[in-house]
Amino acid sequence: MVQEMPQGVGAPLGDHVAQRTGRQVALNWASRNARLLAPLVTLIIMFIFFSLVTDVFLTTQNLQNIVTQIAPIAVAATGVTFVLLCAEIDLSIASVATFTGVLAAWFWVGDTIALGNWGIPVAILIAAAIGLLNGYMVAFVGIPSFMMTLAMLTIARGLSIFVSAGKPIFEVPPVLKQLGSVSSQILGIPVIGLVALAVLLLGEFTLSYTKFGRYVYMTGANREAAEMSGVNTRQVVMMSLVIAAVTAGVTGLLFVGRLSSANPSAGEDILISTIAAVVLGGTSLFGGEGGMRNTILGLLIFGILSNGLNLLPNIPITFKQALQGIVLLAALLLNVFALRIERVQTRNE
Amino acid sequence: MATKMATDPAECPTPPSSQVQANAAEPILALRGVTKRFGGATALDGVDFDLLPGEIHGLVGENGAGKSTLMKILSGVHTPDEGEIVLRGEVVQFSSPAESKARGIGMIYQELSCMPALTVAENVFLGSQPTTRSGLIDWKSMRRHAGEYLGALGIDVDVASPLRTLSLGGQQLVEIARVVYSGASIIVLDEPTSALSGPEAKRLFAAMNELKARGTSLVFISHFLEDVLAVSDRVTVLKNSRKVATLSNNGLTKHHLIQMMIGRDAETLAESYEGGVTLPSPSTSQPVLAVEGLSLAGSFADVSFDARPGEILGIFGNLGAGMTEVARVLFGREQPTSGTMLLDGKPIAPKTTREAKRLGIAYLSENRRATIFPRHEIFKNITLAHLDEIVGGVVRQSREVAIAGDLAKRTGVRPPDPILAAGNLSGGNQQKVALAKWLTVQPKVLILNEPTRGMDVGAKREVLDLIKALKAEGVAVILISTEPETVLAEADRILVMAKGQIAKEFVAERVSKDLLMSYA
Repeated sequence: MVQEMPQGVGAPLGDHVAQRTGRQVALNWASRNARLLAPLVTLIIMFIFFSLVTDVFLTTQNLQNIVTQIAPIAVAATGVTFVLLCAEIDLSIASVATFTGVLAAWFWVGDTIALGNWGIPVAILIAAAIGLLNGYMVAFVGIPSFMMTLAMLTIARGLSIFVSAGKPIFEVPPVLKQLGSVSSQILGIPVIGLVALAVLLLGEFTLSYTKFGRYVYMTGANREAAEMSGVNTRQVVMMSLVIAAVTAGVTGLLFVGRLSSANPSAGEDILISTIAAVVLGGTSLFGGEGGMRNTILGLLIFGILSNGLNLLPNIPITFKQALQGIVLLAALLLNVFALRIERVQTRNE
Repeated sequence: MATKMATDPAECPTPPSSQVQANAAEPILALRGVTKRFGGATALDGVDFDLLPGEIHGLVGENGAGKSTLMKILSGVHTPDEGEIVLRGEVVQFSSPAESKARGIGMIYQELSCMPALTVAENVFLGSQPTTRSGLIDWKSMRRHAGEYLGALGIDVDVASPLRTLSLGGQQLVEIARVVYSGASIIVLDEPTSALSGPEAKRLFAAMNELKARGTSLVFISHFLEDVLAVSDRVTVLKNSRKVATLSNNGLTKHHLIQMMIGRDAETLAESYEGGVTLPSPSTSQPVLAVEGLSLAGSFADVSFDARPGEILGIFGNLGAGMTEVARVLFGREQPTSGTMLLDGKPIAPKTTREAKRLGIAYLSENRRATIFPRHEIFKNITLAHLDEIVGGVVRQSREVAIAGDLAKRTGVRPPDPILAAGNLSGGNQQKVALAKWLTVQPKVLILNEPTRGMDVGAKREVLDLIKALKAEGVAVILISTEPETVLAEADRILVMAKGQIAKEFVAERVSKDLLMSYA
């Protein structure tokens, strides 16, 4: 039987696919994509609901608002997606974002070190160095990422306060201001949104079409098996934490641009929003499953929900945060149910 | 078939059928005409099975014969579509594993469900710790009782030490003690000996016999026919979802069992190597890999051997003899404490598995959890090791699927559909996927650790044929196994490892299973 191998190349695949009926193909497709379909359904329902219930939601200006609001988080979410796919976590992203923003403004002001616009790339490099330290400690020394990045959260936050002497910096590079302003648009799309889109697409390309991306998935799915397939899993984990830190840094810069100031004690809520958006999109906290498409859906759900709830009449403003949490919980439940159906379907195959 | 044998004992040396015996005592548990279907497939078809009080009942059959389904019906995981379960003379229905457990049926699964970080005593009493009057855990009486229970089964361990300090066999005995303590009078053991060394298996059998003497009934499900024959009173053979026969273990041989399991003449299978094989004269080609005085503290010491292209080097030993650790060092997963490795005459010291892979060393682990990504497609499982070679800059799945499809076919994966999730395959087919991973780019040295474990006879043959084909193409194959048959069947030279050292090398001589095992 071994001898007949060369002739049969490729043949069985075709046969097998041809045997499937259309319904089975559709079911298989749906079950394989349950992780995408559930958040997509949530998104569509929300979009239709807010369009019908409010007059303002479906206006150009409001949609531009949504894009401007989620754009900075979208960048950090790209990095967090890599980290979660590796079955790790990064709790330091918000502090690193703030620190990077503060550094860029501090270099611009230049009382101690004056770098002008060069402060921006230098700040990003420092963020990368922080990510490298996180990654080295997690992947090579063996500190759990939860603990390491929790420590880094404190360190980076402390350094922001130290560098800025605890006060907001109001002089920031004009490039960033221009980037963050709602009025800078190309073809009606805020530039900040285009930046975010570019980062998201770059993330999608890396995860779906490069070897590194595949290694990220497989490392998260089964680290031992990846290692035993000759994947340098430590390097993969370290690089994912570097990517998370760099994207967090860019997020920090976008926030500085949007707010026209760098506040060392602001921005802590980025952490929860970012992780919430990624998980809402359906990326597993346990690694190996999900991806940028999920993250994009999660970001849109998160952005539309935050924006839409503010437009709803007759709801006390004080209740909105609780309501937002409840809707997010409902969306997460839908994800869980969809995956349960997927599991049953896969088992029956 | 059974009836014919019984009526004509002179012509066929197979022992008489068990019907006579069954009448002697009321079965404690009986299945009557049990049928179970999954979708269109019938997993059990009208199977009768009875278990007497105080007997060890072996259950054998090829993969897919229905052993696990039968076990899952006994444990309450599945309910039969037809037929009935009679427990102590009463028709019962189990709708959950908890119900079956409450009725005194205890299960020992292949994957142990104990808590390695807790002490032995805590594990024995897991979920039912004795308490003092004030409601606190009564540690003193727990330790004393645990010691007594284990002692009664002939197990002598320190009950206050964490379970993980025990060998796998020891942990299994503790789990059995727990099941007995929880009130089980019927114990079903699924492949209990697959990970045990010879002496450990003997200890398990002694404990099983002790339980039997105390009136407990045991069902012993296993691929290891010798083990089944060593300890069972009766053996039931399943084939293609049906019962072939229940036989008294009286003069029963492995040959008879194999014959009934596969329905072919056992002689033609060359399954049994009691008679021995003669190893060919050694290859004269230059060694591709030479290992000199290799040691890893705590695992193995002073290991020297070489592997030559176009040759299969078998390494046999019991579990824990150090074979797996040698392989992990060769593959860069662990760093040796001393010794040298030469590849094509040049010293190497791979620090990572990636480095070893690039040098041309491939390793198939014995542990499926270290080889398979169950929720990812077969093609991603296969191409992972050689993505560098398969994709240039940009990953294109169509190319991967085509390559993986060919390899899946070459290794005989069924179904050979590369976009199926690997977790949907049976264990044997997952093993083939793991092997296929190393064939995209032909390695110089291919180390296979238990490549055929858990496979049925047909699948085993396919994999062994593939290994022979690779050898013919000039790969140096190192075949590690704890099953003497596997090594004897294919190896050109054989090393026996025992307690972390090479105990014996067989070259160009006659080796029998007994001889091989005597060095392990």
